[in-house]
Amino acid sequence: MKRSRVAAAVASAALALSITACGSDAGDGRTKLTYLSWTGEEQMTPIIEAFEEANPDIDVEASYAPPVAEYIQTLQTRVLSGTAPDVFLIAAENKTSLIDGGHVVDLTGEPFLEKIPDFNKETYGRDGKVYGMSISSWAAGYLYNKDLLAEAGYDSVPETWDEFLQMCRDLEAAGITPFIESVDQMPTTLSAWIGAQSSEMDPPLDELIFSGESTFEEQWTPALEEYNRIFTEGIVSPDVVGLDGDMVRDEFANGRVAVINAGPWVINAIREAAPDLEFEFAPVPGLPDGKPFQAGAATPGYAINSKADEEKQAVAKKFLAFLASPEGVEVFEEQTNDVTVTSDFEPTPDPAFEPLAAAIREGELYLPMISWQRSEDVLNVEAVAQIQRMIQGQVSPQGVAQALDAKLASS
Amino acid sequence: MTTSVRRLVLSVAMIALACFIAIPLYYILVNTFKTQGDMVAAPLSPPTQLFLGNYQEVLSDPRIYRSFLNTFLVTAAAVVLQLLVGALAAFAMVVRTTTLNRVIGAVLLLGFIVPGQSTLIPLYRTLVGFQLVDTLPGLVIMYLGGSIFCYFLIQGYMRTLPYEIIEAGRLDGAGSFQIFWRLVLPLIKPILVTVGVFQTMWVWNDFLLPTVMISTPEKRTVVLQVYNAVSEFTTDWPMFMTVSVVALVPMVVFFVLTQRHIVNGLLAGGVKG
Amino acid sequence: MTTTMLPRATVREGLVARSRRRPGGWKQLAVNQAFLLPAIVVFVFLFVVPLAQSFYWSLTDFTGYSSDVTFVGLSNYRTILTDPSMLAALGFTLLFGVGTTVVVTLIAIPLAVQLNKRFFGRNLVRSLWFFPAIPSMAILGLVWRYILSPLESGVVNSTLQDLFGVGPLAWLSDGTLARVSVIVVGIWAAAGWHAVLYMAYLQSIPNEYYEVARIDGASARQQFFGITLPLLTPALVISTFLLMTAGLKVFDLPYTLTNGGPGFSTYTITQSIVVAGVSQGRYGLASALAVLFTIAVAALAFGQLWLTKTIERRFV
Repeated sequence: MKRSRVAAAVASAALALSITACGSDAGDGRTKLTYLSWTGEEQMTPIIEAFEEANPDIDVEASYAPPVAEYIQTLQTRVLSGTAPDVFLIAAENKTSLIDGGHVVDLTGEPFLEKIPDFNKETYGRDGKVYGMSISSWAAGYLYNKDLLAEAGYDSVPETWDEFLQMCRDLEAAGITPFIESVDQMPTTLSAWIGAQSSEMDPPLDELIFSGESTFEEQWTPALEEYNRIFTEGIVSPDVVGLDGDMVRDEFANGRVAVINAGPWVINAIREAAPDLEFEFAPVPGLPDGKPFQAGAATPGYAINSKADEEKQAVAKKFLAFLASPEGVEVFEEQTNDVTVTSDFEPTPDPAFEPLAAAIREGELYLPMISWQRSEDVLNVEAVAQIQRMIQGQVSPQGVAQALDAKLASS
Repeated sequence: MTTSVRRLVLSVAMIALACFIAIPLYYILVNTFKTQGDMVAAPLSPPTQLFLGNYQEVLSDPRIYRSFLNTFLVTAAAVVLQLLVGALAAFAMVVRTTTLNRVIGAVLLLGFIVPGQSTLIPLYRTLVGFQLVDTLPGLVIMYLGGSIFCYFLIQGYMRTLPYEIIEAGRLDGAGSFQIFWRLVLPLIKPILVTVGVFQTMWVWNDFLLPTVMISTPEKRTVVLQVYNAVSEFTTDWPMFMTVSVVALVPMVVFFVLTQRHIVNGLLAGGVKG
Repeated sequence: MTTTMLPRATVREGLVARSRRRPGGWKQLAVNQAFLLPAIVVFVFLFVVPLAQSFYWSLTDFTGYSSDVTFVGLSNYRTILTDPSMLAALGFTLLFGVGTTVVVTLIAIPLAVQLNKRFFGRNLVRSLWFFPAIPSMAILGLVWRYILSPLESGVVNSTLQDLFGVGPLAWLSDGTLARVSVIVVGIWAAAGWHAVLYMAYLQSIPNEYYEVARIDGASARQQFFGITLPLLTPALVISTFLLMTAGLKVFDLPYTLTNGGPGFSTYTITQSIVVAGVSQGRYGLASALAVLFTIAVAALAFGQLWLTKTIERRFV
């Protein structure tokens, strides 16, 4: 009696499984294009629908993996096993491996790339060739609470680091926590400073380091020392090493801190939580010999699987061309709120973000991990950990830079 | 008299401690009734108004029901098979403790020790060869690795059973399989339920294998549906937690239903303090 | 139920002890070994074959993206053994494994005994203790991250401030405190489930033992140490083995709670396997790490199994 019940349960489950297993493929004559999306399903679906409406003979079958680690893992497993989708995203983490392994189609010269700025093309390219179509960029800088600034007597944001430090001290004196920055990733401040430094060099900073002409110790130590001051001088508590971007955002939304590091992705949550809060983005203030600058990068680029057959590749190019077209970009901007960079579409960023949006279109962005030429993630993991140790007083700024040199030499 | 006072003290102490343990549960639940703004403003306080929008949005999506069905099928098949494979092996090991079997037993334990991440890519490639990738049976096969865990727990429990059961069965002329099925399985029900509950939680909640294995939207499991809300820079936490709660409701119901069986085990009456 | 009718041998005289003295015929032997077959098939296909592949890759420069690889000998192993972050990861992984095993055991046994008694609200209490086993550890880690926020507005810190006037503590920002925090959350997550496991075993202790003990005038304490604890040793062997292996393989919790920080304070071996294999395209290196790790965990786990079995033999 019991036996038959369990057996029946197993049998019915097995049966149901086999039924579900063979229920794919509509077979309606449309060409199927597989796509692994980096963008969440809710945002991506309208974009795909718009494309399918414009191309009724194509059926985009999208699957989704949340960025970043899970996406990279899923794509890696599929690429290796020969089950990669026709279209996927090339990102900082997998750029080198995908290009080296010959898994992505060379897109150089495709008409849809003409609208993409050089900055975005170079990010996902190598040796003058382009492997990914990146249609937007992100930037992060400082976010100021204007009301709290006014309480300390400031009606504009500082341009230089010295002015910024002075403002922090004034805020502190007025009983306001001046500044917190999340350092669970590469600090926005450092990225911006190194970026400002590099933008005035020719050849750029990373070329010197990676060709062996210069070292992290030489290039990074001054910025690291300057950054460490905010902790050693007590302007920011070393406790920030335990914070992530969402926590820092919540502190800001609740009016408990005057300045944070942030990007456009915090805007909606802050508006919802504190509709009356007056805030404004601005670049990271410049060091004495540098200009105000911002951290940021080109968003991951759409890439085509080189193992897909010719027909699929042609269809995939249609998809990319649509994504870069004004109609495609319009839906994309509406859904993702990204600042798009294609030349024939004018994005309308949030007014509070305006000061950084201009920099995005100029390509005045820097993110070490994306600019580094090899061992990107190895160096990034090391840098974040060493910076956290520096903030806790366990290693000197120079020690951080030396550790990076050692890591580069050994990998 | 003293017994009832003692019971009262125990009740109060245990309830207080359990409530402390459950603070994260409260945190998750309370935020499902808030908008993102409310949560950012005051994550721990009770919601200002009873906001049901998150639940409405989650439950109005037809795909969630499809993913429930998929998860249910995969979990049921995987857990029943795991328990069966584990119990069979445990029985073989316990009734005949030869040196060979002891060596096999020790080697099987290696199955726990290997971190899942290091076998994922090789396994996936094998399944591609068998055309089992992006299918629910393929997922069930991946979960069979949990059999080793079941084996280990079940054999420990079986060792505490009295041998007379098997002897009695043999005298009645029952074969090994009949003894296993009719006599031993009913007796190890408490551990089967305990292990079954635990494996169910794992399979139901697992994220890693479905993300890698499943690409067709119709074959998604509930957890994949949950993680659709995650994006690169920010996450709508109240929404994310709501989907998580909805995904877990069947698990909670399941646990509440089964916990009686964990407790009403072998002996009528149980242990009285 | 038929069970209560059976004459009860003592636990020590269970299935194992008797069966050694009763060898059966060849046919029975074959039938018996056939019961093992499914488990062996599962083991070979899901563990042995992939591990062998990992071992092969550990000797190559495999990136995880294309099977076109070069043989590099033991250089991956050399890289691992000279990397300071790996040593930090090893240290914390061991600390987490041993720490959670010891503390969870110390909590779960008395808890199981209490949860087995009758009191008002027992089912609710059991459910609440078990609850941490239900959601995935990744979600719980994110929730705890908020609760343990080092800011004054963090849940724990604001409570401490209100109740005791103690200033904000840097739960996840200070190396030592972060280690303690991760371990405490790990204990929180496992204690209830292991109590349930012990409870299942408590069910198999015959009530008569306690009755006899009470007639002999044994106190509750004496009953616990004289009957309950010795008869729970089979459960202890299993529970500690599970805790140790799960503890050494921990990934989700530190990853979501601290992401290995601050610095490398809470970095784990599994995190470094994932980071090297997935984010860094160094699959050969990750495989070498996995091979070394498997060997190390096996050594530790079997050592611990041997130790608890020795204790079991002494007790029973």
